[in-house]
Amino acid sequence: MLRIEGLSVSYGAVEALKDVSLEVPPGRVTAVIGANGAGKSTLMRTLAGLEKPKSGRVLFNEEDITGGKPEDIVRKGIALVPEGRSTIPDLTVEENLKLGGMWRTHAQRGTSLTRVYSLFPVLGERRHLGADTLSGGERQQLAIGRALMTGPQALLLDEPSLGLAPLIVTQILELVSQMAKDSGLAVLLVEQNAATALRVAKTGIVLNLGQIVKSGPAHDIAQDEELRHAYLGY
Amino acid sequence: MIDFIDYLLGGVSSGAIIALMALALVLVWRSTRVVNFAQIGQAMFTTYVALTIRELTGSWFLALIVAMAAGLVLGVLVHFLVIRPVKRLDTSGAIIATFGVLIALEALAAMVWGGDPEAFPPPIENAGYELFGRIWPFSPYDLLVLVSVVILVLALSVVFTRTNVGLAMRASAFNPEVARLSGVRVNRMLVLGWAIAGLVGAVAGVLVAPLSTLSPTSFDIFLVFAFTAAVIGGLDSLVGAVAFGIGTGLVIALVSGYSDSSNAPLVALALLILNLLFKPEGVFSHHKARAV
Repeated sequence: MLRIEGLSVSYGAVEALKDVSLEVPPGRVTAVIGANGAGKSTLMRTLAGLEKPKSGRVLFNEEDITGGKPEDIVRKGIALVPEGRSTIPDLTVEENLKLGGMWRTHAQRGTSLTRVYSLFPVLGERRHLGADTLSGGERQQLAIGRALMTGPQALLLDEPSLGLAPLIVTQILELVSQMAKDSGLAVLLVEQNAATALRVAKTGIVLNLGQIVKSGPAHDIAQDEELRHAYLGY
Repeated sequence: MIDFIDYLLGGVSSGAIIALMALALVLVWRSTRVVNFAQIGQAMFTTYVALTIRELTGSWFLALIVAMAAGLVLGVLVHFLVIRPVKRLDTSGAIIATFGVLIALEALAAMVWGGDPEAFPPPIENAGYELFGRIWPFSPYDLLVLVSVVILVLALSVVFTRTNVGLAMRASAFNPEVARLSGVRVNRMLVLGWAIAGLVGAVAGVLVAPLSTLSPTSFDIFLVFAFTAAVIGGLDSLVGAVAFGIGTGLVIALVSGYSDSSNAPLVALALLILNLLFKPEGVFSHHKARAV
């Protein structure tokens, strides 16, 4: 569904990503793990159109979307939940959700909104409150909910565990992996918290200094002691 | 005491107009982080357009509508021709460039319509109402100004809080990156901000013209008052702009009444300095602090 071929991204002289190729199939979670500065966020931001690649291609349903604008890429069906719970505190919970997918029909948006409220009941309860009244975990749910409002086929989650209690992280990630299974959503999950990410993922990819050093079944990566010590630091 | 009430009443309509100008400044600031000092020049220019239409057709209302359309177009033109190219190079450069636009518009207006003050009479009676055996400094025209401003502010608040496009504009102002990731075409929202600001400024110009005279520079003083109101309100708050616009109008009316109208700009400046000293982020701002 989402295929990345030989992607390289630079910030000035610094190469953040070097020749990265990977595939994100539908119906499951693919996890990219690696230490701080491995290039995980750069990968996500490039896929979403926020950074322009130096070389390489991004293919979505066989269509070349390399270098597209964020507002066009999300319309094609790739939604990014950026790092740091990207909700807008000045808007209400429901306004944050309604921001997603304005180009869609009224009926489509209504269906998505109902679905988001059934996935995350707490958002429904607080729909008219300001987003600034939510807890960290609720704000992460809101950010994911806004991405779902765009009716995505591929969901990109950038470091959803950041600053959240482990129990809440597990809950959110299990919900996401269930969603992938149920609706055929392709999920690309980027995490520093490797153990949790690999538990919900089918495939694991280890990124180090902008390059893929290992990829394979998530279970095998989680068991690989040497890999853990070398790149993941636990 | 009766003086006090008289002065306040006399300040209501100019306060409402200052609120509109402040609103225009805030709309532009929210969309592009530029203080548009040309806003008053755009309003002056569209008021001359209104004057021409009025002389041709005799209709004040038609003149107002044409001025609003002209304000919308002029706002978009200033954004595309000056602000966008300059801002690509330097943000503070864009603010300086708005002064350039102001001077250019004033020169252009002087070339087209001449530099002498023109009368822009009110469309309805501007003598105060008579009630309880005395004449109050509040006229049918003041009432028209007040009603027009209230209608416009209510319409804008409905657009901003109840429509998709309003939500998209607010989100683009608060967090452009999240707005883009949600599918909002943020650049279009910026243009729309300039367009609406141009329209609001045009209404302010047509409404204020009968209270002063119309010359290429006769509105400039309103920029000082509107800027003061917008900054005290927090620069990004629509509610703040309206509240402090009216407040500034009332303060100026009191200062002019008790001393002399030439002191009004000094008082506005003093308010601005006090605000920057004690509450630099503005009273209604969404942001914690602003560097001065």
